[in-house]
Amino acid sequence: MRKLTLLSSTILALLLAGCATPQNNYDPLEPVNRKIFAVNMAVDRAVLKPVATAYSQHAPGPVKQATHGFFDNIDDFFSVLGNLAQGKFSDAFQSAGRVAVNTTVGMFGFVDWASDMGLKKTNEDLGQALGHWGVGSGPFLMLPFFGPSSARDLINPVSRYYLDPYAPFSDPSTAVTIFRYGMAGVSARADLLPLDPMIESQIDPYAYIRDAWLQKRYNDVWDGNPPKPLDMGGGPDDGPDDAAPGAPADKAQPAAVPDAKAPAVDAPKEAPKSESTAPATDASKPAAEPVQ
Amino acid sequence: MKKWLAALMLGLLPAFALAASGDTPEVIVKNVSRDVLDVIKKNPNDPAAVRDQVGKKVEPLADYTRMTSLAVGRYWKSATPEQQQALSNEFRQMLIRTYLSALTIYKNAQVNVIGTRPGDSADEQSVRTEVSIPNQKPIPLEFYFEKAQAGWKVYDISVDGISFTVNNRNQFGAAIRQKGVDGLIKQLSDLNAAAKTNASAAK
Repeated sequence: MRKLTLLSSTILALLLAGCATPQNNYDPLEPVNRKIFAVNMAVDRAVLKPVATAYSQHAPGPVKQATHGFFDNIDDFFSVLGNLAQGKFSDAFQSAGRVAVNTTVGMFGFVDWASDMGLKKTNEDLGQALGHWGVGSGPFLMLPFFGPSSARDLINPVSRYYLDPYAPFSDPSTAVTIFRYGMAGVSARADLLPLDPMIESQIDPYAYIRDAWLQKRYNDVWDGNPPKPLDMGGGPDDGPDDAAPGAPADKAQPAAVPDAKAPAVDAPKEAPKSESTAPATDASKPAAEPVQ
Repeated sequence: MKKWLAALMLGLLPAFALAASGDTPEVIVKNVSRDVLDVIKKNPNDPAAVRDQVGKKVEPLADYTRMTSLAVGRYWKSATPEQQQALSNEFRQMLIRTYLSALTIYKNAQVNVIGTRPGDSADEQSVRTEVSIPNQKPIPLEFYFEKAQAGWKVYDISVDGISFTVNNRNQFGAAIRQKGVDGLIKQLSDLNAAAKTNASAAK
């Protein structure tokens, strides 16, 4: 880990030396991220997407469902940790119940008995738990193969590797484990296939995916009730100017100058999380009035 | 008498819009989602038919101008009225093309209205729903309404916290910084035209 930190801070420092105003307040590493994104897309087109498409079209429905259930069961295991780390004991209990039922009666998650029993599924993870306690997302990261992440949410792939619930039963280097990771990727990719036409028809698919991912994670951290919209830059209230078309990007964005030590962060949480159940004033929309 | 008749006729013209005008956002969402799911169920294998029929249904309920202004962000004010008009038109086509054509994957879906929350003013309100598909975690879907003269209109929709106006802001902003407002209009219209060609070639 130490090496990794050193490496990433070196990269960060190098980048910042010649860094322009980022397009998104959370994306100071955009030039590198875009390069990784391009590689990911090439790999996807060549391998992952064709395999996922074949899987989605030819695998029998029950197989797909069982596969999905198997990985959902692992997600539930990490939801237990995410819930516990946020002090959401009732949800943690439900998630733990799901894992207990589905792993045994449901045969490693192949059948989702827990949902039929009314055990609620929550999608929590350790990244959200850090966010819950006020840790900002840090810079957006496009990881090779894994896709979008943030510095904070790196804890998710790392915890999944080191706390793998099946690790005690299978050597990580065995073919079974490799097959398992492969299937996880194929199954997850198959879920995303319906979104492809939408993403491909964007002016800038990278920006579209990044901004969608950042908004979703922010919403997840706040359990659907963020106190204010995530300021990714470019909003109606962003900056004092009405830059003329073609004018260079303004340098007035407050969070625009990235700082290696304190990258743009989520708003610190002033309120305890219990407030999120109170009737929310709609803060998730831009305060700006429609501009006529 | 004649005046009354004329008024009645006028009222009949935008029948759908008028019918909806008295309804609260929650009622509108309930009715429209039921209608939309019906259309999808009747045409489960015909995305184009779904797109066209749903498009007609939602058209009177959407404020595309405000949607576009939110998507374009701070450059909206620097666009001329003609440019704003062109942007709204292209953005509208893009939304219909990308979102409404993908609706057939929701043929087994159910939309449950969870509740409403107030907006920044009395003229704004959002309706929270969940779309449930068998064997999947429900997807939160929220509709943001504003009160216009012709009744409540939707100016934004968010899926799992992802606002589809905000999500375009950075890519649109970058396009405008590089090539100006007209450059963005051209890029959008090229994409829309290409999608049309692809769609007709596929038939």
